[in-house]
Amino acid sequence: MDGEELTEQETALYDRQIRVWGANAQRRLTKSHILVSGIKGTVAEFCKNIVLAGVGSVTLMDDSLVTEESLNANFLIPPDENAYKGKTVAEICCDSLKDFNPMVLVSVEKGDLSARSTEFFEKFDVVVIGYGSLATKKAVNEKCRKLSKRVAFYTVDCRDSCGEIFVDLQDYKYTKKKLEEKVECELNFPSFQEAVSVPWKPIPRRTAKLYFAMRVIEVFEENEGRKHGECSLLDLPTVLEIKKKLCEANSVSESHVPDSLLERLITGTIEFPPACAIVGGILAQEVIKAVSGKGEPLKNFFYYDAQDGKGVMEDISNSFTS
Amino acid sequence: MDAPQSKSRDLDKLLLRSGNLVGPGFFPGTDLRDDIREYVKVLVVGAGGLGCELLKDLALSGFRNLDVIDMDRIEVTNLNRQFLFRLEDVGKPKAEVAAKRVMERVSGVEIVPHFSRIEDKELEFYNDFNIIALGLDSIEARRYINGVACGFLEYDEDDTPRSETIKPMVDGGTEGFKGHARVIVPGVTPCFECTIWLFPPQVKFPLCTLAETPRNAAHCIEYAHLIKWHEVHGGKSFDPDEPEHMKWVYDEAIKRAELFGIPGVTYSLTQGVVKNIIPAIASTNAIISAACALETLKIVSGCSKTLANYLTYNGGEGLHTKVTEFERDKECLVCGPGILIELDTSITLQKFIEMLEEHPKLLLSKASVKHGKDSLYMQAPPVLEEMHRPNLSKPLYDLMGRVEKDTVHVFGTSLKNEEKQSSLTKLRVVFKEVDGVADMDTAIWRTNSKRKTPF
Repeated sequence: MDGEELTEQETALYDRQIRVWGANAQRRLTKSHILVSGIKGTVAEFCKNIVLAGVGSVTLMDDSLVTEESLNANFLIPPDENAYKGKTVAEICCDSLKDFNPMVLVSVEKGDLSARSTEFFEKFDVVVIGYGSLATKKAVNEKCRKLSKRVAFYTVDCRDSCGEIFVDLQDYKYTKKKLEEKVECELNFPSFQEAVSVPWKPIPRRTAKLYFAMRVIEVFEENEGRKHGECSLLDLPTVLEIKKKLCEANSVSESHVPDSLLERLITGTIEFPPACAIVGGILAQEVIKAVSGKGEPLKNFFYYDAQDGKGVMEDISNSFTS
Repeated sequence: MDAPQSKSRDLDKLLLRSGNLVGPGFFPGTDLRDDIREYVKVLVVGAGGLGCELLKDLALSGFRNLDVIDMDRIEVTNLNRQFLFRLEDVGKPKAEVAAKRVMERVSGVEIVPHFSRIEDKELEFYNDFNIIALGLDSIEARRYINGVACGFLEYDEDDTPRSETIKPMVDGGTEGFKGHARVIVPGVTPCFECTIWLFPPQVKFPLCTLAETPRNAAHCIEYAHLIKWHEVHGGKSFDPDEPEHMKWVYDEAIKRAELFGIPGVTYSLTQGVVKNIIPAIASTNAIISAACALETLKIVSGCSKTLANYLTYNGGEGLHTKVTEFERDKECLVCGPGILIELDTSITLQKFIEMLEEHPKLLLSKASVKHGKDSLYMQAPPVLEEMHRPNLSKPLYDLMGRVEKDTVHVFGTSLKNEEKQSSLTKLRVVFKEVDGVADMDTAIWRTNSKRKTPF
């Protein structure tokens, strides 16, 4: 982790991946600092992948206590009540992750993410918010954008067997392979606030329905003061009311957001392991690309639905003209 | 002759019937019948990058009976993605450590490890499983398992596959940011052999390029490895795990590269070319394995359409996935009804085995012959060869129980593209003139791509 060159140990351990992205990219990875908040199955998978990839450090934030439910889809928590009783999710996951790669500094940060100052985020190169509330996602994204250092910002949300990833790399320059040459490219990412406030009407019809469904549920949970995932079938009438209002405000028909999809998302409180592994894998890949500066990044939403096995990228910003 | 009974034949009803399944609206998770996952047996072939992820995903998804087979021991270069292994595990068998670690993390799952080569297991071993999930890194290994699984397949009178003999496979493969996941349902989807043309030809440099006209770094390396080594070291075999050998090849490759003005020879590349190293990262393995686990769940529960039938994935530049529906090759030697061979009832087993060598579609030498559960003749080991030798002089018709026609499996070395490889092939043997009249003339056999008689 120290010094400019990879150590002999790092070169041996990372041999197979250095053959993929090169030694320079690996060096950049070993110097990167990742903040992760909100740990359930998908984020656990993400953490495993970036720890194996050999990032510099991973800081975990999740003060919820481990319960039997936490075990679902989360390989980092051993099923031993004596071991996890009284501990927080972050603490248990921290111990497991250290095992996967002793060269990565894995630590726990206690407290409320949304209460942190802007300066707090300056320590990090990447911030990942898992299962966050609308307010938290907006607030943290704004703070990251205020910093002079560019902090890569990601949100991830998995409900039932669906997943959403959001990416904000601000103004991002990267190299892309075009035939045999390397080309310099630039992308401009909208902020989280902008990306979730885009008027629905100009958005192309074939856009993933999950984008709209997630926005409805975000609003529901904020209005009702619910924590992420704190919902059930009983809430469906309220959720459908919100959907109706949002559709009206955006001048789109109600068929824009299928009721069946909303029902799935509010009743499916447990995560689905294969979906966690896929979304966690994609997220890890994106973070690796952003840190190494190599390869075209995802812009700016990714949706996965295990029901049809499809993963789609959606580029949603105010650039749509009505 | 009946097919070998599988322990959970009643569950076979749940396996994919031919044609597409249209599932009800619910999927997956809590709606899945837990009892299915309690009973279903899944074999994971390979405990490496894909295997580790597969075991974890299947265990977390509720499967209770898993087996894993892998002949390798853990190496340091595995640790960047095979997350079940630690530095102190280096040297231990992959299958055993993987099984142990997953059972520690997921309660209720039973994983039986097999530290062995896939070829060393009996056919009955494979038949015991409802689904086989592959996490392999070579074409040969995939071909072998494909041959085994498709070997269980039987067809009825109308040439439709008999559903209780269908052994589905889910196959994943990765390299760097790229990967694929596919579902193989023998008799329904294409099998591995049907789509063998999908794979680019294995890199084999022409000898003259290596010897006379190298153009790139890999040519220089292979010159040192394949040609110069033997010139200098005579009979001593090259050991890729011996650092001194590798260094020697590297030094020679550098010399040759300098001679021809070719850049790019590094020690790392030398290792890569000589050992055929596949670049690999954790995230691609995680994604592809999860896709395979998902398909395994769908096959078992039968409540949703499975992947039809080949997914390719590329995450290097942006994100690209594509699903292609490939079609079966009805003439496929492996998953098809089998090559038709018509014989006289007088043909001895010895003569039959000799005929296989000249058969244009087989070119099979040193064949062992199996009829259902019975081994008619085995080339090895010596004890069994001796035991079966008396059969050689007997008519095949008699050995097969004097049935008019039946399926026979032959296993031997086939010569394809001037390369010898082990192969297991299915044959439909049909006896002519089965009315007691012995035909003492030399047997006439025909291969037939258009069946003249229903089988």
